[in-house]
Amino acid sequence: MTVTTGASVDGEPRPEGSLIGARVHRVQDDRLLRGNGRYVDDLSDTGTLHAAVVRSGTASGEVTGFDASAALALDGVHLVLGPAELASQLRPVPHPWLIPGQQVTEVPLADTTIRYVGQPLAVVVATSRAVAEDAAELVEIEVKERDAVVGIAAARAADAPLVYPELGTNKVGAIHFGDPAEELEAVFATAALVVDHEFEVPRVGHNSLEPRGIVAEYIPATDRLEIVSSTQVPHLIRQEVAHALGMRVDRVRVVAPDVGGAFGQKTSLFPDEAMVCAAARALGRRVKWIEDRSESMVAAYQGRGQRTRGRLALDADGRFLALHLDIHGDLGAFPSTGTGGAGPFQVSGLMIEGPYRFERAASTITAWYTNAVPTGAFRGYGMQESCFVRERLVDMAARRLGVDPVELRRKNMLGPADLPFVTRTQMPYDNGDYPAALNGAARYGKERARPSEGRIRRGIGYASMTEITGYAPTALQEMFGIHWSTYDSTRIRVNEDGTVTVHSGITGIGQGIETSLAQIAAERLGVPMEWISVDLGDTAVSPYSNMASQASRGLPVGGGALWRAADRLRLRMRGLAASYLKADPESITFEDGTFRAPDGSSVSWREIAHRGWMGWGRDPEGPIALEELEEFDPPSITYGYATHGAQVAVDLDTGKVTVEDYWLSHDAGVVVNPLIAEGQMVGGVAMGIGAALLEQVAYSPYGQPITATYLDYLLPLSEDVPDVAQEHLETPSELIPGGFKGLGESGIIPPPAAIANAVAAAVPEIADRLTALPMSPSAVWTLLDEAGLTR
Amino acid sequence: MTQTVPNTTTRTITATVNGEQVTAEVAVRTLLSDFLRHTCELTGTHVGCEQGVCGACTVLVDGEAVRSCLMLAVQVDGRTVETVESLAEEGELSTFQAAMKSHHGLQCGFCTPGILMSVAAERRGDPVERVEGEVLGGHICRCTGYAGIRAAIRETWSKGAQA
Repeated sequence: MTVTTGASVDGEPRPEGSLIGARVHRVQDDRLLRGNGRYVDDLSDTGTLHAAVVRSGTASGEVTGFDASAALALDGVHLVLGPAELASQLRPVPHPWLIPGQQVTEVPLADTTIRYVGQPLAVVVATSRAVAEDAAELVEIEVKERDAVVGIAAARAADAPLVYPELGTNKVGAIHFGDPAEELEAVFATAALVVDHEFEVPRVGHNSLEPRGIVAEYIPATDRLEIVSSTQVPHLIRQEVAHALGMRVDRVRVVAPDVGGAFGQKTSLFPDEAMVCAAARALGRRVKWIEDRSESMVAAYQGRGQRTRGRLALDADGRFLALHLDIHGDLGAFPSTGTGGAGPFQVSGLMIEGPYRFERAASTITAWYTNAVPTGAFRGYGMQESCFVRERLVDMAARRLGVDPVELRRKNMLGPADLPFVTRTQMPYDNGDYPAALNGAARYGKERARPSEGRIRRGIGYASMTEITGYAPTALQEMFGIHWSTYDSTRIRVNEDGTVTVHSGITGIGQGIETSLAQIAAERLGVPMEWISVDLGDTAVSPYSNMASQASRGLPVGGGALWRAADRLRLRMRGLAASYLKADPESITFEDGTFRAPDGSSVSWREIAHRGWMGWGRDPEGPIALEELEEFDPPSITYGYATHGAQVAVDLDTGKVTVEDYWLSHDAGVVVNPLIAEGQMVGGVAMGIGAALLEQVAYSPYGQPITATYLDYLLPLSEDVPDVAQEHLETPSELIPGGFKGLGESGIIPPPAAIANAVAAAVPEIADRLTALPMSPSAVWTLLDEAGLTR
Repeated sequence: MTQTVPNTTTRTITATVNGEQVTAEVAVRTLLSDFLRHTCELTGTHVGCEQGVCGACTVLVDGEAVRSCLMLAVQVDGRTVETVESLAEEGELSTFQAAMKSHHGLQCGFCTPGILMSVAAERRGDPVERVEGEVLGGHICRCTGYAGIRAAIRETWSKGAQA
């Protein structure tokens, strides 16, 4: 069902041969396929020292002794920094988005108090990684252990050990969005039907195939710190490093090379990375640290981690009267910085309503400290969690009312005429046709039903969602006390040989934004794509971007800025050509790299570029440099939306759920490159299937991670992910030049709900009990067994 | 506590890597992946887990796909090693490499070299038995959802092409 509707752009029909909407192959693929990627660990090791990190093996306690003498005695060891020294060299980093009541407002990057297994306590620097690891094993740390708090339920218990005893509670803070609680309770007390369940979405790991990694070089003569980091947010890393090390921002440079996946994890400075920077400064050398997978699975920030009571009230006709989600989030040992902390829980709460109209809706969000590595941003940023709760409640309600779940959705869904619309939690939806996505998916699903056979039951389920993309404007952040900026800037330059360079604050993290930006630049300038270079991810040349590549904002915000900048530059080039050809700019045509005047005279793009660089023929009052910088802060959020459908098989003997078929209909505004867009959607769906069926970070009651390898933590393999049929609706965003909306997170949001609803359809006997992820064989088998369906 | 004495014993090995004979002195504990990446400077082979699960580090040793993170460099003494850098022949992408590009079979590209090598190993197998899902069974890709990779494999095999 791959359908592209070919929406117009800026109200004009899309021209024949337009690069907008073209399935252009990605610009970096040749290089990556030849093994010529440039990831952090691929850079030359000449003159580089190597770091290993010493981590806590216990979840809670106090460091009472530290002895690095044996490590330092080892040949090739240059430096060991322990927790006390590191604490004196690294200032805590302020947290940008506090939940009301939050007492820990700064993140200590080094500490003698231990709050999770994997917490970095010391850094060892040696001539090779092997020696550094040998030495790390010789570091002796004495710890006075304390009882650990594992999981939300334990954190909430009256007699719980406290992660921060000085606070007297494990509660971080709480906030309420939407209608007042008493108004909701009045509805729940009198409604014809109330569906009321507890849901659990566990912690999950991002697991980019390239773990984190950093090379930090301190140059004493110039007091410069040069960093290469596998990150989504080079400018934010620069801010946080400068703050942590007490350096001037202008003395720190951060470069993101090829990044081997990120998914929201690489969005802040981690404590171990800061320690590597401190070691580089202490030594006046270049120090490399590459996270290994075991470290990644215990010490890299995780995502999700919510327990929620969800209630949906309906009248006898199936109209949605009220929705309330009481969300409890597992923050971990401290609030992760950047876009982390309690942010994802709050966005869960803000996005509870999806594409429906509710008379009343509200969410109450409470965050809890636990003795586990912090949680933070994860692709979907809280929206998958509340989509799971809402779409399951809708499905349960349909079953109770005896109506088709698609019909119940349609009945309560906002129509195109209802938009724009402000939700009860004050989210300003912009435009689109939500029922079109529902209808598209339902129509396709009608032909996809497969019968149950023997002990294999089959069913189809749906889930609908709305999604924040191009998160903005920045004034809103100030209003809510969120220390983020949401604008982005893009610079486009015509070089002296006529080639074009694009510099954006957006970074490449494997999603393919380089190609999409090159398409936009080429389209708006009217030059071949081969003339365009897109250079990203270097604070020395990239325009400032606080959030960079996250929050589905690369294309709408970065691409929107480029759209305008390229348009201005095109007009300037035409003006220079007109001046040279002594003709009216409006009369100049540009085709195949040549400007032509009505009298038949012509000049090449390259010649005009050269003249422009010489400063010849310009408007004496106008700018000289052939470049344009556009700063773009969208006036409001632009929302994507979708309905997903899943067809599953449930094996009553093993509890194994297989997703046999999957399809979706979605709207991400104008699609620049369907090849990339579809890849983002399938990749998101695959990750969503992992969350639905496989993935869960687990801890022992003592806080020991028990999913520390890929044999314990299961990621989806090819056999777990079917091909995904896709329909692109294209409602151009009216808020974004070019009409784009974001889609990097879209695919991951509905799958757990759609798959759970499909399992419920296949096995109605357990429909109301499918409230926890992942729906692993053992979990499903237990439900089947309790329903008397096993043998 | 007994002090650990690092094992620094070395041995000289000779192997044919991507058609060239390489002789080097390596610490006996050196992993093949580290030898390829840091001694041979063939950084196209990526290390994703060092646990033998993710498959990113897959290379061919005497034509068989192996996890280079689970093998020691000294084990390839006298043997032939092929890495991702050997696949493009005379500068042109191989049929499968080109298909991966046209079917968008890669995003971040980190797992890609291992998948390319597993598919390359398949060309020595019986084509009748080939199932694209099976050749991918030992690989984790976190970005693509595998659909583009499977399409690229199907196209390559339908052409009867060498991977």
